Amino acid sequence: MSKLRQALESGKFVITGEVGPPKGVDLGACLHHARELRDKVVAINVTDLQSAVMRIGSMVVCAKLVEQGLEPVYQLTCRDRNRLALQSDLLSAWAFGIKNVLCLTGDHPALGDHSDARPVYDLDSVQLLKAASTLNNGHDMAGHELEGKPDFFLGAVVTPAADPLEPQKIKMKKKIEAGARFFQTQAIYEPERFEKFMNQVQKLGVPVLAGMVLIKSPAMARFMNANVAGINVPDSIISEMEETRKEDRKKKSVEITARIIRQVKSLCQGVHIMPLGWDELVPDVIAEAELK
Amino acid sequence: MHATIQKDIEEIIGYFKAGEKVFIVGCDNCAAKCHSGGIPETQEMANRLQKRGINVIGWCVPQPPGVSLCKLSNTKKVLQEQYGDQIKEADSFLVLACGQGFHTVLDATEGAMVHPGCDTIFGGETVSDNFITEYCSLCGECIVDFAGGLCPVTLCAKSLLNGPCGGAKDGKCEVDRNRDCGWQLIYDRLRALGRLDQMEAYMPPKRYSKWSRPRSLTLGDGEATFSSLAGSHTVVNHD
Repeated sequence: MSKLRQALESGKFVITGEVGPPKGVDLGACLHHARELRDKVVAINVTDLQSAVMRIGSMVVCAKLVEQGLEPVYQLTCRDRNRLALQSDLLSAWAFGIKNVLCLTGDHPALGDHSDARPVYDLDSVQLLKAASTLNNGHDMAGHELEGKPDFFLGAVVTPAADPLEPQKIKMKKKIEAGARFFQTQAIYEPERFEKFMNQVQKLGVPVLAGMVLIKSPAMARFMNANVAGINVPDSIISEMEETRKEDRKKKSVEITARIIRQVKSLCQGVHIMPLGWDELVPDVIAEAELK
Repeated sequence: MHATIQKDIEEIIGYFKAGEKVFIVGCDNCAAKCHSGGIPETQEMANRLQKRGINVIGWCVPQPPGVSLCKLSNTKKVLQEQYGDQIKEADSFLVLACGQGFHTVLDATEGAMVHPGCDTIFGGETVSDNFITEYCSLCGECIVDFAGGLCPVTLCAKSLLNGPCGGAKDGKCEVDRNRDCGWQLIYDRLRALGRLDQMEAYMPPKRYSKWSRPRSLTLGDGEATFSSLAGSHTVVNHD
């Protein structure tokens, strides 16, 4: 059984981290960031061609983490693979010792660096969860029996600050019915709004890890507000960053993230920290949020 | 209708060898509505090519008014009976119509060299005289009923069947913030119809074998047969 599953099923407050594979074959920095999270987080998400930018694959980085005794969460998107490739990659991932999978739709190729690529989306995220559940039960989507079956712990994503929220909630329920056993959320900056969301979905009985993205600068916050769906950084946080000298911004970022975590931790079952390059700050965030 | 748009004139000129004798064919149905191959555009194309030194020996837009170029029997009859000499003389044909009309000219001329003068861009609704847009992807397996009549395969940039991704902002799609999120449209419509329950039901993956190409339709007495990689499927259209 995966450590992530064990931790969530035992009711512990869970912290997960995240690394992004590089464009190229030099995994040095990526694996270094992952090693820095050892003993700080239960599992580490590995993103799958994040932002639709061509990079080395999520599966190989997950396999390297397994080799080093770290537990990955394999992010798998529907953007680039049809149902044959998705199922095959899931079987391959299991053979590499990968036990957690986060099933996602995936950013559209138009947003990335190969914008003329043919988008696949043969399955959507709900159908992918169902396909993975079917593999767990020893069959493929066509009903054929597998020689040896995996036992993935399946997760999905949800956007608590989506407007309107109802379609997200409807889809969240469908994801649970299709086999999602945990959720990681889009970045949270408004604890009150998150509380309202949790009050509505708590009854679904599936653990939710609140997403945390470290804010690096006022410009980054404004960029996310303008461009990233489901993210709303309040003006008060932007002002806090603005009033902080550049050399003190890392410290401030840790302070803000830790404060949000303290505000939401009684509402959810864990947090998912996405440092986006400021990986070395994750231990400080955890310490300052009084999670250890 | 099949929406088309003329190719850039330089690309079209690039098809022709020196002295190549070209006959131009337009379409009085869809291409006329798209202003890409009706009578005025076909005549104008002949003028523009002649001005650029291309040897245009004639042009036509097969009639009767409003007929589709892709009706092979009509196109063949018009070309042979009304333009017989020019057809024989022509080294090649330039077609100002969709890809189906294009191939109809290839068939009507029994395999002559045919050049495409248009890009075929989608099958669409003629919303007004100057706006055509796409509501159907011609997938071969209509599923719009569960979505209140709005096709998620076409209106969602990712063709998602089970609800929106997390990429929409203010009801606009992540690929283009000026474009409506298809699932926002579906959600709004189902809510207005009091049928949000239809959004809660799991939609299985599509049978893309029905979207395999080339597909065909064979018509019999009171019946029709659709053939694709999903197999042949005959429907009787009466009791």
